Amino acid sequence: MVSPVQSLLFSLEFGSFIAIAALSFSVIYRVVGMINFAHGEWLTIGGYLGVLIAGQVGSILAIPIVIITSGLVGYGLARTFYRPLRRSGAGPIMLMLGSIAVGYVLRGAFRIVFSSEPRTVILPTQVYRFDAFGGFFVNSTQLLVIGMAVLVIASVHLMFKRTDVGIAMRATGSDEDLAEVCGVDTSSIRRNTWLAMSGVAGLAGFLIAASTNVFPLMGMEYLLLLIAAAILGGIGSAYGAIAGAYIIGGAVTLTTSYLPSTFTTLGTGVAFLILIVVLLIRPSGIADVEVAT
Amino acid sequence: MSYTTEINRRLDWVKQRATAAPVSIVLITVGVLLAFSPVGIVYPDFLLPAVDLGILTALYGLVILGVNLQVGHTGLINFGPHLFFGVGAYTMAMMASSGSFAGVTFGLPIPVGLVAAVVLSSAVGLLLGSTSLQLRDDYLAIVTLAGAEIFIRLINGVQPIFGGQTGIQNIPQPIGAVAASYKTGLTATLLIFSGILVAAYAVVTKLTDAPYGRVLRAIRADNDGARSIGKKVGRYKLVVFVLGAALAGFAGAMVPLYNGSIAPTFTTITLTVTIWIGMLMGGAGNNRAVIGGLLIIMGIRLFTRFMNTYSPVGGGFFAPLRLMLIGIVLWAVIYYKPEGIWGDPDRLGEVFTRK
Repeated sequence: MVSPVQSLLFSLEFGSFIAIAALSFSVIYRVVGMINFAHGEWLTIGGYLGVLIAGQVGSILAIPIVIITSGLVGYGLARTFYRPLRRSGAGPIMLMLGSIAVGYVLRGAFRIVFSSEPRTVILPTQVYRFDAFGGFFVNSTQLLVIGMAVLVIASVHLMFKRTDVGIAMRATGSDEDLAEVCGVDTSSIRRNTWLAMSGVAGLAGFLIAASTNVFPLMGMEYLLLLIAAAILGGIGSAYGAIAGAYIIGGAVTLTTSYLPSTFTTLGTGVAFLILIVVLLIRPSGIADVEVAT
Repeated sequence: MSYTTEINRRLDWVKQRATAAPVSIVLITVGVLLAFSPVGIVYPDFLLPAVDLGILTALYGLVILGVNLQVGHTGLINFGPHLFFGVGAYTMAMMASSGSFAGVTFGLPIPVGLVAAVVLSSAVGLLLGSTSLQLRDDYLAIVTLAGAEIFIRLINGVQPIFGGQTGIQNIPQPIGAVAASYKTGLTATLLIFSGILVAAYAVVTKLTDAPYGRVLRAIRADNDGARSIGKKVGRYKLVVFVLGAALAGFAGAMVPLYNGSIAPTFTTITLTVTIWIGMLMGGAGNNRAVIGGLLIIMGIRLFTRFMNTYSPVGGGFFAPLRLMLIGIVLWAVIYYKPEGIWGDPDRLGEVFTRK
């Protein structure tokens, strides 16, 4: 039996993956107005780039390179696959279907290029053990994951509240035409959003690959979790998504560690159950965004 | 009298008589007779995948009719038909199986299983529909998808009840049991299922051609407008949602009856994606067109299956290529022809394009 503090630590770590991923998903939804069902694959891209890059340059230096490269790759994909659809007049549902299509293409490509074997980013890891609170341990990777989550959340917060780009992003998300009339270059805002948030999603993938491993279907496993977190928080609300992520992370970790081992796959099922219940009781989520017609 | 007018006259004669009801009756009768006849049909083995996929196409046809009723006619975005298909399939499997390697089985007669399958999948549809149909399009899509994922986690995870990855075996195969040979049984199954599909098509078309169908399309075009002229929009949506769920559940219940076993691989999201591709490619909102679209995408799947068997590259390389192809086809349909090959772009505008 794991001690409660240990469970809490695992929940924090798992919640941090989801928080970073859900934040990027939510900001893209808010600004660009698109539910990206291939967002899980955006994580996988970061994981694989991490495997490739960390092998070359070492661990800590790899993080900024992974963020930049996965930002470029994610933006390239959005430009190649999503922009033509949007320009041809596809509505939100069609864009959603388009992203499902992109997910299929990317998962197939991962399997061909990297094979189905799980890969991992090898980081030098230090383990710290404590005897307090029934005994628990922390390793440096977990600290890195939690630290990066705090850093990302703080940067996105500052960008949204303090910088002109952030304000322009919020304006584009609220009313694109009005923003354009006010002199906001909305197409460059879209580009920057995809660049930055694909980078953030890539970072989440990198951290997952460092903490566990990366495989072609990894993104699929996280997709509904991060959607659940985003909806729980009120989709399009960055802060809600973060709160939602830690709730989902806690729920999944706790069910997995306290249920008999035959039922471990139900851990994520619990997250989806939370998602549905939230949509039924309070579809606007914690942060109260209007969604029902 | 020229030769061509004579042919045309005869074609018209055929067209007048070959409506859905007689075609379905003939298909089912021939299928049943074939199953009971002592004749063993012989055809080359390489045609087996085609017959096998044909059977699946007939069942997917039932699902696509239901989804088209929901999405194409009423504008309810259902991303989880594989949930209802799976509920139907597992209910039938667990009810009818007489002792499986893993999982709970009841060994009841098939008709009981069939009723239970349709009732249970409708009940799941009722539960999901009565709670979430008031949500916006994209949220409804996510709820249906999440509901389906929970079900898949459940059947994968709770092995003592649902058999986990191994699924449920030992399900009676009524057609296979009486047929003279394996190939005869398969052919008879294809004929009977196609007959059922044609009958379902006739019923659904009757519904959508009736004033009832016009109300559905009015709801799709303008939810509040339909409500303002006194239509009970919520009631209509719920009925359509449950109807689609029941059709998918019925189709799912057929799978264990010809396959003899059921496993989680039959109810993956690829089923839903195939259905959506077929619906969009044919033309959502048109019952005949969606079945045409389904035939095309299943034809592509058959072609790739042949390619897989006879191509020099290994399956480890080919399987992901097939998945990529599904993605590319879906993307291309949305980009080049979102209204479908036989669809009417004006009728689809409300749901699928930016207003």
